[in-house]
Amino acid sequence: MVFEGKKLILGKLGLDGHDNGLRIVAKWLVGAGYEVVYVGLYNTPQRIAQTALEENADAIGISFLGCEHLYYAEKLLDELHRNDLGHVKVVLGGVIPPDDVGKLRSMGVNAVFTPGTSKDEILKHIQLLWNQ
Amino acid sequence: MIDLDEEKKMGNEEKVKLGYLEGERVPNFKSLSGIEYQRIYGQSDWSGQLPEAGQYPFTRGIHHDMYRGRLWTRRQQSGYGTPEESNERFKYLLRVGQTGLNMDADVGTKLGLDPDYPLAQGDVGLQGTSLSTYEDMKALYKDIPLDQVSSTLIVQPPYSAVVMSQYLLLAKERGIPWENLIGTIMNCALTQLVGPTLQSNTTFFPIDLAIKIGLDVMEYLIPRAPRWNIVNINAYNIRETGVSAIQEAAFSLSMATDYIKGLMKRGLDVDSFARRMAFFSAAHIDFFEEVAKLRAMRRIWARMLKERFGSKDEKSMWFRTAIQTSALPLTAQEPLNNIVRTAVQTLAAVLAGAQSIHTTGYDEAYSLPTEESHKLSIRTQQIIAYETKVVNSVDPLGGSYLVETMTDQLEEHIWEMMKVIETRGGFIQCFKDGWVEEQINEARYKMAEAIESGAEGEVKIQIFKHAKDMQARRIAYIEEYKKNRDQEAVIRVLDKLYELCKDKPESNLFEPIMAAVEAKATIQEICDALRKSADFMIPS
Repeated sequence: MVFEGKKLILGKLGLDGHDNGLRIVAKWLVGAGYEVVYVGLYNTPQRIAQTALEENADAIGISFLGCEHLYYAEKLLDELHRNDLGHVKVVLGGVIPPDDVGKLRSMGVNAVFTPGTSKDEILKHIQLLWNQ
Repeated sequence: MIDLDEEKKMGNEEKVKLGYLEGERVPNFKSLSGIEYQRIYGQSDWSGQLPEAGQYPFTRGIHHDMYRGRLWTRRQQSGYGTPEESNERFKYLLRVGQTGLNMDADVGTKLGLDPDYPLAQGDVGLQGTSLSTYEDMKALYKDIPLDQVSSTLIVQPPYSAVVMSQYLLLAKERGIPWENLIGTIMNCALTQLVGPTLQSNTTFFPIDLAIKIGLDVMEYLIPRAPRWNIVNINAYNIRETGVSAIQEAAFSLSMATDYIKGLMKRGLDVDSFARRMAFFSAAHIDFFEEVAKLRAMRRIWARMLKERFGSKDEKSMWFRTAIQTSALPLTAQEPLNNIVRTAVQTLAAVLAGAQSIHTTGYDEAYSLPTEESHKLSIRTQQIIAYETKVVNSVDPLGGSYLVETMTDQLEEHIWEMMKVIETRGGFIQCFKDGWVEEQINEARYKMAEAIESGAEGEVKIQIFKHAKDMQARRIAYIEEYKKNRDQEAVIRVLDKLYELCKDKPESNLFEPIMAAVEAKATIQEICDALRKSADFMIPS
């Protein structure tokens, strides 16, 4: 499997507890051969970065639902840079308005998956993260 | 939904072949809960007798005249940003034809956190309104007569004790006797956030103390606010995790059983409180199954109250439910389709005899429900109420071989599952054991297989476009608030609350919590005092 050895941290930031989507994506990624560290709800950007460091992760996947994405994406990216984790890819998903996708990408987010993205598309784009 | 998605994957030739040459067919004839619909239903399936509407066990509705006597309440959920902003939206909704309010608080409020708490800052005002202080409640209900407009306050225990206190104090300040207050405090532990999932219910408050304070709220309200619903048993949020209609009904009725037992254990007569317990259920898109589910729930509630708990008052046996149309069938692609879906779901709720309805906005998958989409939800209900004539006769589907057969089937399945839960120690025990979470996870993965797309299972939340300023204002507000008050008085009431909770855990904590609100303690300060008494730590 080409994905072998790639490790992703999946979790949510802040107080939003809607994790149906994230759990489903975690299952898909495991099925595709990735190693997934599922950190669940109520994380801070610091904690996610710390986990990425400790786990030597290749990517971080965060899902949003209540429009906290801009607030937290900025903080998470700062935190990664502060910890010399610029090489760790950042993937966001969930209810993110189309207008904000460009903003997130220009901030340095590597991929954004909005509602309705198919399993195949998600897996394809995640694989491409390391071919860019 | 599956149909439309399948169709998209096909080439044009295949579509033509399917549509015109072979005729279209749905992939199977199963209900959403997996019950097989028969080709046709007849007398051999059902030949029973139905009670008159308004008669036990209320299969045909809890009132003799149902909507001929009074239409259901149009109650759209709303709440976002600051209390002042939500007040504006409340007034708008009442102006365009809403007949009751449905106040949703933000996640911080629902977890007992103030806007300035670091982990809460990014979520302030996004999924509901931010409500920390008594003054916030005052701003939220400015110009709205509490004794004329009914309100549902969507907050779970123990935070419900704080928000209910704010509301009662506001009534007191305005000179409105509590016995004239009309509305509902959700006050349902374990389900409020994203259904009964463990992490969301165990991270910010100890479960047992939350359930206990929920009962405190109920006990306090019963004699003092006789027109107020003391709990809205939240079946909707259970359903939105992806479980079946049978699980939704069985879980919520079992949870209600635990509440009834808890109040009876305190020495209360079942007929003093059961008539003030109400439900909040989902209307998914399997039309007949949803109608049958609500009719079955009505019968089970009535039988449970009469036969198991010895109720003698018919009003206790009335299963009263608010309905929200489920967001699970809604999609972000082709959002206008959602208008059709929610109209069908709303019709199911009406034909099932619901007491109030929230029709989910068609655009909630990708944006803040605009005033326009909020209005459209209200209009959907008005069209059904005033144009279609479906309200003219009571229980118009009653006696349908299909609906009656399915009502019987669902009732049987729901009872069976309730028995399983009972033998496992009741719903609260099943939740604590992780059994409920297992059931939910199984449903989530099934749902994933069914949709095979990355769509979020839940798309019911509002998106706030310009959050930063609003959040900064709320954070500054709460910081100022905490500086400008009689600090000693605050410390005094919080210490008292802490000691009472620690030393006399059996005493009712509602009055001391209300005293703390009155002394200008914030929602988090009150909850922190309670957490401290249980040696409970929350993530920072």
